[in-house]
Amino acid sequence: MSNEYDTHDLRGLGLEPEDLDGHTIEDLTDYLDAGRTPPDPSIDASPGCRLALDALERLRDLTPELLSADSAAEPEVEEAWVERILTGITLDARAGRRIPFSAPSPHADLGITEGAVRGLMRAAESAVPGILVGRCRLDGDVTEPGAPIRVCVEVSVPYGPPIPLLAERLRTEIATSLMTHTELNITGVDVIVQDVRRRSPPVEEGR
Amino acid sequence: MSSDQNRKELEDADDSIVAGRAADGDAAAFAVLVRRYTAMMRAYARRILPGTAEVDDVVQDAFITAWHRLPELEDPGKVKSWLMRITSRKAVDHLRASRPYSDIDRVEAPAPAQTAPARVVEARAGVAALGQALRELPDGQRECWVLREMGGYAYEEIADELDISLSTVRGLLARARKYIIVRMEQWR
Repeated sequence: MSNEYDTHDLRGLGLEPEDLDGHTIEDLTDYLDAGRTPPDPSIDASPGCRLALDALERLRDLTPELLSADSAAEPEVEEAWVERILTGITLDARAGRRIPFSAPSPHADLGITEGAVRGLMRAAESAVPGILVGRCRLDGDVTEPGAPIRVCVEVSVPYGPPIPLLAERLRTEIATSLMTHTELNITGVDVIVQDVRRRSPPVEEGR
Repeated sequence: MSSDQNRKELEDADDSIVAGRAADGDAAAFAVLVRRYTAMMRAYARRILPGTAEVDDVVQDAFITAWHRLPELEDPGKVKSWLMRITSRKAVDHLRASRPYSDIDRVEAPAPAQTAPARVVEARAGVAALGQALRELPDGQRECWVLREMGGYAYEEIADELDISLSTVRGLLARARKYIIVRMEQWR
């Protein structure tokens, strides 16, 4: 083993206790992790420790860059891959609570799932160009007919149009849709704008 | 709104909207997460399990678990680090399956041949040097280092995941750090 890069010859930067005024690389890592507080004069005053701390910090700064570089070097994601994953998931997994509605006869038992109601709320976005519905919440006992229900949606809006206007249009659309398609007793529709999207550059051909 | 237009808007939306929607059961939103994070998850899994052909299986598994557990994710805006976490769990499961005994300590397999420094002195020399140093680490040191520094695991969590003692984790990490730093110094 006379490789010039063999570990035994790696003596450029001393990282053993004798190079670090008695400290170890573990001590120094812990010190960095703690934000160098409380200050430890025996570390701060040691030239060997300061060199090692600098090296540890450089390493820490480089790590996210390595993950970015590695990710960029991965092949482009193919649609076949996306399809493969989507076929592996079960789409009925999000039914949620069952919401009863009044049946025409005592022999019928009708209901709609919470998931389907969320679907209605998402679909309301198509009436307000550019708005995107994120998470939807139904607060209240939906399993109890007539119970007061308040719904809340998180949304993303495009940069440009006045946000209150967009939010109000979506609120109206959701309220109308739920009133038309369900028997839920909606007492309020809350819209939380979570994200404002900058216009993205036009899609390039061939991508 | 056409579905193409809708897809493009979803692609532009931030994680909290996309993941929130996927948590509610929208498969199109989940597809956006798959497109957005596949490369990152593959890259991360590959650092934990270098040289295996099973990285895609690990990532696919991670996505399927993520789909089922998304409703439990309290803050959908944190979906990125949450996916990283699931990816490393799946990668570690894979390690366990392929390494029946808890022999991480003894896994000091000979490192691959070292590349001469000149070959990696390029624009991103620091990153390339770090990547190369990681490839040279013995398995146990590399796994601990990647979970800690890329995955943000606490020492205790690494010990749990890899089924080794806390002091072993600390020892492996110290050795990994020394090796990486010294190797990187040679490239400066």
